[in-house]
Amino acid sequence: MVRMTFSTAAMALGTTLLCALPVAAETFRWAGTTDPQTMDPHAVNAAPVLSFLNNVYEGLVRRGPEMGIEPSLATSWEALPDGAGWRFTLREGVTFHDGAAFNADDVIFSYERAISEPSDVKSWFASITEVVRVDDFTVDFLTSAPNPLFPGSIANFMILDADWATTNSADLPARDAENHATRNANGTGPFVLSSRDPGIETRLTPHAGWWDSAQHNVTEAVFTPIGNPATGLAALLSGEIDFISPIPLQDVEQVESRDGFKVLAGLETRVIMLGFGHDHDTLKYSDETNDTNPFLDPRVRLAVAQAIEVDTIDRVIMRGAAEPASQLLPAGLSGFSDEHADRPDFDAEAAKALLAEAGYADGFSFGLMCTNDRYINDEAVCRAVASMLARIGVTANVNAMPVRGYWDELRADNFDMYLLGWSPGTFDAEHPIRFLAHTPTERLGTWNFGGYSSARIDELLEPIQQEIDEAARQAMIDEVAGILQQDVAYVPLYTEPLIWAMKDSIDVVQRPDNFFMLRWVSVN
Amino acid sequence: MMLARLKRSEGIWLFSRSPAALLAAIVTLVIVLGALLAPWIAPTNPYDLASFSLIDGLLPPVWEAGGDARFVLGTDDQGRDMLSSILYGARLSLSIAAMAMAVALVLGVGLGLAAGYFGGRFDAIVMRIADVQLALPAILTALLIDGISRGILPRDLHDDLRIAVITLAIALSLWVNFARTARASVFVERNKDYVQAAIMMGQHPLRIMLRHILPNIVGPLLVIATVDLASAILLEATLSFLGVGLPADSPSLGTLIRIGMQYLLSGEWWILWIPTLFLVVLVVAINLLGDFLRNLFNPSLR
Repeated sequence: MVRMTFSTAAMALGTTLLCALPVAAETFRWAGTTDPQTMDPHAVNAAPVLSFLNNVYEGLVRRGPEMGIEPSLATSWEALPDGAGWRFTLREGVTFHDGAAFNADDVIFSYERAISEPSDVKSWFASITEVVRVDDFTVDFLTSAPNPLFPGSIANFMILDADWATTNSADLPARDAENHATRNANGTGPFVLSSRDPGIETRLTPHAGWWDSAQHNVTEAVFTPIGNPATGLAALLSGEIDFISPIPLQDVEQVESRDGFKVLAGLETRVIMLGFGHDHDTLKYSDETNDTNPFLDPRVRLAVAQAIEVDTIDRVIMRGAAEPASQLLPAGLSGFSDEHADRPDFDAEAAKALLAEAGYADGFSFGLMCTNDRYINDEAVCRAVASMLARIGVTANVNAMPVRGYWDELRADNFDMYLLGWSPGTFDAEHPIRFLAHTPTERLGTWNFGGYSSARIDELLEPIQQEIDEAARQAMIDEVAGILQQDVAYVPLYTEPLIWAMKDSIDVVQRPDNFFMLRWVSVN
Repeated sequence: MMLARLKRSEGIWLFSRSPAALLAAIVTLVIVLGALLAPWIAPTNPYDLASFSLIDGLLPPVWEAGGDARFVLGTDDQGRDMLSSILYGARLSLSIAAMAMAVALVLGVGLGLAAGYFGGRFDAIVMRIADVQLALPAILTALLIDGISRGILPRDLHDDLRIAVITLAIALSLWVNFARTARASVFVERNKDYVQAAIMMGQHPLRIMLRHILPNIVGPLLVIATVDLASAILLEATLSFLGVGLPADSPSLGTLIRIGMQYLLSGEWWILWIPTLFLVVLVVAINLLGDFLRNLFNPSLR
């Protein structure tokens, strides 16, 4: 009996001693499920990184509380004559965190860094042919063809100090390895990175020399990644942290019913979808030893779409907080195709018939790659998808892993089907076409892991980027949306809910891109 | 033989006098039978993805409002029947624990007997390893082994060998008790006349160890085995709870508890509490049995 009590106690202790942090009054502590993988603004084009770094670095333009584009490091911009590009007038008197002055050289340097081979944000500049330094505070971005959307598309293009990066041999972003910029930062933003312990804790302090007047009243901000949302919620309720995003959907009611806490809920501009290995000749994770890839057949992809009951996923797993999706971007965003707003109806019988028609009446098995700490209930959704596919005789071997190594696995083609969430950074339909639908090239289709390819879509991307006439542009976007649905290139599932919880004393601004901006936080 | 029979009858007498032990034995028996017969008595097969549906997700147990007679203990977030999940989970947990215990027993007793019998440098080496091992908490050893295997095995292989890795991890953190007990008993027995006689008759050391010494230390080993079985179940549950054990599509009791943790505060209490209670009852019952066996084999404690 004595032995048992001891070992039980030891284990209980091991599992409960996970969190014990002191709380200082003026400090703002917040938590999220995912730690930003890097502090390098050009190394990973993913929301956790960009969202976090928007507090530290700044772009030429930035987005306001309502997502509108406003001046940041550029005070104004104008189109060059004949659609030759855009001229940005830079803000004078801006200093980096280390005291260095900001000028056109930093913009040129950051641009070259962002289009370098290891950069993950090359596609932002697909239409740019050259960047010209006109004088110390004027820069021209020259385009091959008119690009009316360009200024609004670079809000996340962050500028770092040329001297600092060169001195610390961080001239290029480090995507797979690390360099000085992976753990250190030197931006012009409202907050200075004061300490960084990856996966554990990241501390920020206000930038005393920030050019804009501060709207926040934070003296120190501490970010802690908490992978398990239930643990994170417990940390919020016990007062250890002031803010968390997201909280488990099942806990919304009880957080709201408690004194001293509030929940901000909405829809993120992110669509959760399934992607296929379009350029894989065989299945990698099939239990059978056949040498084909059934997902090459559009009928099989359609069968997958028809076998998934999105409404049930929404009701049970997402507690009704999600919204079924039909395209690569949520309804309501600019360029959403109203013509193609319907997703395939759930119909298991039709799905089975399609499988039989494609020659897979007995089903097959494959590997479904999935994150387990990136999107709300991501793993549960994958398991539910597996269970629904099992009903039409297709076995999905779910491999759920942390997002830390997830993109590398996808880039290495280690999947048959995968889960992906996409939030269009420009809030326009052109963004997912550029990243997810265009055939993968050096600068385009960079997140099209499955290698989906449609000559017509490739052809349409440029005209869509250049067309100024709304109706003509929408007609082309409608055509792309139609092709994507016809081909079942992806299976859009639902729009991700936004679910932030915080102490009553905290005021924040919730942007639909789920970026958490410290500059709007006030602690009362 | 005579001695064993005598002990057994005495054991039965003691057993009938100890309601706690009796109850523990019944509970253990019921759980073990339920786990063994899970494929035949469980209402559904929780590993068969086609046998459950998300539509039935998050139903409460049958006695609560909104319960469904098909799911006596309710369903989890994927619509799996809790009762079936628990029975299958217990089956996995128990078989991993039993296998781990068997490996630890063979390894520990083998090394302990040899160390005690041969003494000298071999004894010193084995016992120093055991000391180091004792200094590390069992859970740490298990995590270490799991981590190493994750590092050296390719992903597909690691998934396939998951159960073997966990079994080995648990076994390697539990063998020390067996080794120490076996060694200590050998020291006591080695100088007794019957062993000395056997040695003088020129019998093979292996035969002496297995035929003469081992039967005399079965009692204490049985006690350790029972108590360690409970530890092994808890260890497996802890590993799975921490997410390094069994995955969510073939859940053991620990995995079920890990899944249930997400619903700790949200009102769906059955997803967490039923597997947890089940685990507690199982472990307490086995420990009570171990206690009883210890009293039985150690008359001075009675």
